[in-house]
Amino acid sequence: MTERFSYPDDREAASAAQVRALEALLIEKGVISGQTVDKVLGYFESEMTPLNGRRIVARAWVDPAFSDRLVADTPKAVAELDLPVGMAGAEGEHLAAVRNEPGVHNVVICTLCSCFPWPVLGLPPYWYKDPVFRARAAREPRVVLTELGVPLDDDTEVRVWDSSGHSRWFVVPQRPAGTDGMTEDELAELVTTEAMMGVALASAPGAGTR
Amino acid sequence: MKLQHHLGGLEGLEGPIDFERRVFVEDWEKRIFGIHTAMMGLSASLRDALPGYDIDSVPTTFDSTWTWADLRTGAEAMDPFDYFRLRYYEKWLGGISAFLVEQGYVDRDEFAAATARYRADPDAPLPGRAEPAIDAQVQRYLREGDSPRRGPATPDFAVGDTVVVADPPAADHTRLPGYLRGRRGTVERVFEGNYAYFHSTGEDGLGDPVPVYVVRFDPHELWGASAEAHAGPLYAELYQSYLTPGPEARR
Repeated sequence: MTERFSYPDDREAASAAQVRALEALLIEKGVISGQTVDKVLGYFESEMTPLNGRRIVARAWVDPAFSDRLVADTPKAVAELDLPVGMAGAEGEHLAAVRNEPGVHNVVICTLCSCFPWPVLGLPPYWYKDPVFRARAAREPRVVLTELGVPLDDDTEVRVWDSSGHSRWFVVPQRPAGTDGMTEDELAELVTTEAMMGVALASAPGAGTR
Repeated sequence: MKLQHHLGGLEGLEGPIDFERRVFVEDWEKRIFGIHTAMMGLSASLRDALPGYDIDSVPTTFDSTWTWADLRTGAEAMDPFDYFRLRYYEKWLGGISAFLVEQGYVDRDEFAAATARYRADPDAPLPGRAEPAIDAQVQRYLREGDSPRRGPATPDFAVGDTVVVADPPAADHTRLPGYLRGRRGTVERVFEGNYAYFHSTGEDGLGDPVPVYVVRFDPHELWGASAEAHAGPLYAELYQSYLTPGPEARR
């Protein structure tokens, strides 16, 4: 009998050597330079990070008119903010925000692959790409959210957004109670990638974070 | 019919979700992400991109089209068991390596030899060849992207219309989630402009610029008795090629 899901003992070492060989050959053959990969990674480490999303949400929390513009025309509203150049670049060409409100909770998924708003949140975390998450969140998002520790009452409508087209969706979570008087920078600290995909809530300091 | 096209809503996967918050779980995964993204930024298809990239002047030997559609086609062609067995970036590494060998950028034997070399000496350095113009193009692609928007919208449907999702033959690649095939929904939003796709998906229907809609689906229409308690609506973004008029419009 064969093992259906077996892995070689050298699983990671083999992949590491293979990818290094691939990069070395692409440099030797003139496809990329010796710095290309480092520069791509640097862009996502320094400029296109979840900090951009956190700042967008914090602005929406302190400025209701901005929040309305953000939902009505996301690329235009994002362009108002002083964010790194490239918010409409790769995987941000057509950003689209949906907003949580009392009685409405949004969840963004991608059942076909892993579409994600790179300029807003950086690169997708592993859970977003997990086939089990993608399968289950489409059909039973409330069950999934409960498992992930998101409390929802029965009257709250859960809306699922499957990223199957050109838009890259993200969620504007609700501003947590007890945050009056906090500055925009302090508020930005309360926002997580998970909250901006709808699988967590933003929490006030001391309220526990998910 | 491909499992990868029908993942959404698949039953029986009742196990816990692996709530891993990291983007990369092994350092090597970063490198294949970087290679893929560089290839997209140097893709021959960017000749027709809206930012007007001067791809022909970039001093790279890469002269192929490499887009999300190519990466996704590879993932959708996989043995479904392997699709579940392999981690996300393992699938990328397999697909991208196969493409580069097949296109002749990397010789199979040379690749095997180099892999053995780095296996024996993982810290051996990479070649240090500088080529700022390649890096500048990749950087520009990251900042300016590759919008598929082409021309004004020419919608056949309006907000509030009932539509029925088409059921085209299974193709190598699709943007139609399988669980929506044949289902009835309501147009919630019509996007401004028409949208092309990276390449033709054949009988599946994508490629040329078409209107795109947000369509709202009732969970009971999608899942029947398998819908969860207090289920809410599901919204999908669908190309017009995937939509047909609802029953009341057909008469």
